[in-house]
Amino acid sequence: MRQVISRADQINEAELLILKRRLRLASVLLLFFASILVIRLWYLQILNGDEYFKLSENNRTRLHWLNAPRGMISDRQGRPLIANRPYFNVTLAREDAPNPEDLLNRLATILGVDVNELLDRIREGEDYPRYVPILLKEDIDWKTLVAIENHLYDLPGIRIDVLPSREYLYENLGSHLFGYLGRINEKELSESEGGYQRNDQLGKLGLERIYEKQLRGEPGRRYIEVDAQGFEQHEVSVQQPLPGSDLRLTIDRDLQDVAEDALDKGAGAAVVMEVATGRILALASSPPLELNKFVGGISTQNWNEMQKNELKPLTNKATQGQYPPGSTFKMVVALAGLSEGVINNDTPFFCNGAMAFKGRDYHCWKKHGHGTVSLERALAESCDVFFYSVGMKVGVEKLAQYAKSLGLGAPSGILLENEKGGVVPNVEWKKRRFGQPWHEGETMSVSIGQGYDLATPLQICQMTSTLVNGGTRYRPQLIEAVMDADGKVAKGFEPIVDGHALGTAKSLALIRAGMVAAVNSPHGTASIVKSKKYLVGAKTGTAQVVKVEQYKHLKEKDIPYKYRDHAWFTCFAPADKPEIAITVLVEHGLHGATGAGPVARKLLKEYFKDSPDAKEEVLIEDE
Amino acid sequence: MLHFDRRLLRHFDWALVVTLLTVVGISLMNLYSASHVGYFGTPPYIKQIYYYLVGCGIMLAIISADYRFLLRVNYLIYGVIIVLLIAAMLFGKTTMGAQRWINFGFIKLQPSELAKLAMVITLASYYCRKDTGKGFGLLDLIPPAGLLLLPVLLIAKQPDLGTALMLVFVFVSMTLFAKVRIWTLILLIMLVLPLAPLGWKHLKPYQRQRIETLFAPENDPLGAGYHIMQSKIAVGSGQTFGKGYLAGTQVHLDFLPERHTDFAFSVLAEEWGFAGAIFFLAWYFFLVFLGLNVAGAARDKFGVFLAFGVTSLLFWQAFVNLAMVLGLLPVVGMPLPLFSYGGSSLLTNLAGIGILLSVRMRRFSRGGRENKG
Repeated sequence: MRQVISRADQINEAELLILKRRLRLASVLLLFFASILVIRLWYLQILNGDEYFKLSENNRTRLHWLNAPRGMISDRQGRPLIANRPYFNVTLAREDAPNPEDLLNRLATILGVDVNELLDRIREGEDYPRYVPILLKEDIDWKTLVAIENHLYDLPGIRIDVLPSREYLYENLGSHLFGYLGRINEKELSESEGGYQRNDQLGKLGLERIYEKQLRGEPGRRYIEVDAQGFEQHEVSVQQPLPGSDLRLTIDRDLQDVAEDALDKGAGAAVVMEVATGRILALASSPPLELNKFVGGISTQNWNEMQKNELKPLTNKATQGQYPPGSTFKMVVALAGLSEGVINNDTPFFCNGAMAFKGRDYHCWKKHGHGTVSLERALAESCDVFFYSVGMKVGVEKLAQYAKSLGLGAPSGILLENEKGGVVPNVEWKKRRFGQPWHEGETMSVSIGQGYDLATPLQICQMTSTLVNGGTRYRPQLIEAVMDADGKVAKGFEPIVDGHALGTAKSLALIRAGMVAAVNSPHGTASIVKSKKYLVGAKTGTAQVVKVEQYKHLKEKDIPYKYRDHAWFTCFAPADKPEIAITVLVEHGLHGATGAGPVARKLLKEYFKDSPDAKEEVLIEDE
Repeated sequence: MLHFDRRLLRHFDWALVVTLLTVVGISLMNLYSASHVGYFGTPPYIKQIYYYLVGCGIMLAIISADYRFLLRVNYLIYGVIIVLLIAAMLFGKTTMGAQRWINFGFIKLQPSELAKLAMVITLASYYCRKDTGKGFGLLDLIPPAGLLLLPVLLIAKQPDLGTALMLVFVFVSMTLFAKVRIWTLILLIMLVLPLAPLGWKHLKPYQRQRIETLFAPENDPLGAGYHIMQSKIAVGSGQTFGKGYLAGTQVHLDFLPERHTDFAFSVLAEEWGFAGAIFFLAWYFFLVFLGLNVAGAARDKFGVFLAFGVTSLLFWQAFVNLAMVLGLLPVVGMPLPLFSYGGSSLLTNLAGIGILLSVRMRRFSRGGRENKG
């Protein structure tokens, strides 16, 4: 310490004294500035106090916030999906009501309720200061509204609050995309910008939250002078609200409707994507959120119910559900095998129903085997042994590279919350995740999309699009346009390219042919979507949930629901000039073709309903 | 780190602490009135109590160390603040169009608040190393002006004009206190005056409007003049003895959007009238006066400058806020130190009080000469 002080210690006593003398001048200045304030206070409070008091008493300006109409949400053709409906609430500002009892009696007659009901409301609000308005009745109808408006001059202190609220034109359609609105909480309020008030609604989830700023617009302000009796004297000024922008989605209402309808009974997801742009035409997750339960704030009971439901309605299974991709992963193996030169289109493998590796049998789903198969038939009939062999030759590292180039293993970047990225395993991943070395046998499992592989339905749909559009990976997008209040497009759709598939164009063509064969060849696994009207390419898949021996001997319908396999189906059409890719996942749907296939078939039918030869029947009738 | 010295307690400035507690008491009572309804969760007056407790901890920490330590690390402090200000600019959180906060996860920091204290410490260190007897000339002023300008520009860019001006005020006060040659002063004034219109041009439109409306608030009753007019009505309508505690009409009608922060004094003046406002101001300016007293009692040059700097910081913040609330200055977003709601400002000012107490407590140890006698 002493060294530090030493320098400051070399003080000149005289200099210190001079400095301290200057402090006296500072004290005088302090007094001077303080007296300015005192004089000003005297001027305001004593000299002009009366006048200001009158101003505060008799000429009070009231500020009413005017909520901007929230933007509407429509489908790609501009058909509205979510609109607004105003709620009219009756409130009482007590300090503007000199004679409340008399007032309430008159109001009760107009509202057609017992006056005690209103008195109860007032008792509840008694602890609040008098300037806080008390809500007397919510959501009155038009007739009552008109009656009150007509009598407003006999009802000092009574006010009608208009609370805009969402109206869902198609019930729960697109619920996981839109999300919902809720009352702003304190944290959101303190972080908000742009004049949010307490009790305001804001988007809490989904597009309502993500596009909150655009949808909300800007609130307006209305200043009114009221007299001592609480009657509105005149409007001082109005700043009109700026209505929110409308959102036009890439979603097609009809396709979305068909998707949700087809998934209705169980849990699952369906995604329809435009292969050459990344536009999402439908993105459904079942069960849906019950949006109307969220209007005006969801109750704890409802929320708990949703959380406990074993079908998990709160999860958007298209983007947040991760499942082993099963045989849909075989396209990745084929692409890697072809492009790496491990196989060509007629390299044969022999399938006798199983493949032995290190003393263990890895089975094909077909017990007695496929015999000699090459690529096209292997894809069409989903021969496991073929893909075990190709996968082992390519190796897990290469498989992972090709998978990632198709968008697996990382979130696609769609604008929705908490999108999951799935898993594309390799040696390093396993070491990082489990601290264990890679076993070669695991490459076998990975080659048929089991084991550590995980993917979301959206990823499989994006993968299918990339495979069939020539290898360009488009980011899935939901917004066709943001339209400002006067209907002009503020921001239009633009495709975003996120990458390119590894591998040659020829390999991609061969895989497409294999998928077409899966639908159209005699033993193809995906014949359920076969149609004369349009050529489809597809791949089925089964995601093992558990490998439980005790269920092996059971008939499928006797296996408990939660242990049943997940069903995958992914397809594209028209095969000669692909427009859309459709991916369906049905949780515990057992088999790709029968569990998820029908959903895909309905979507295809809907998509091609207006094409020229519409009268031709789909080959296989709906069950 | 130090053995406890009883003389530290003997020289403890009890008057300063009692005055501080009185101001704090009035502040909390007033905050309760301004914010006890209409908030979700923890209301501001409760949060403010927490901030006070944290502030007291910081104060104790500062008191327990010798203030002369600051002289050793002054440029380190300065450097850290500059880094924080730049960080706020790059990664800061934007609220109401200004980048002021850095979020460290566990704490949200407003570096521009800390910059005020850092400026005081930097200038006190600088001037204490110079000869302050004969007055500074123009060239002597270039280095301290440089030290000022860097943080001022960074803060003005956020934009936080109020804080930037505060740094300038403190600089001017401390520099004049260190004495400037009279001709240098005249020259400087003549140089700065023609720059004023240039500065006017660089203000943002809303800032310009605030100054314009100060002179004619009636021209714009809904925009920038609105706060001033409503605040004046609140204060004026308090008259001699006020409308009574919790009974202010003006402050409770959402006329004063910042009623628990910048306009906290309007609430007091409306509810307690001229009598209450004068009572409060008397205590408040007595606190500032005690700060000058500490400077007068300091044992060394650094102590004098440090205490004077902290006091002038306190004073200018208070004066600008009060003058704004009373409609004498434009609205600049300046809380009333130790009185308005707000954690960053409170902690900074309590730290300042801690520095004052520390200077006062150690007056006896001058060169070790006094203690022998």
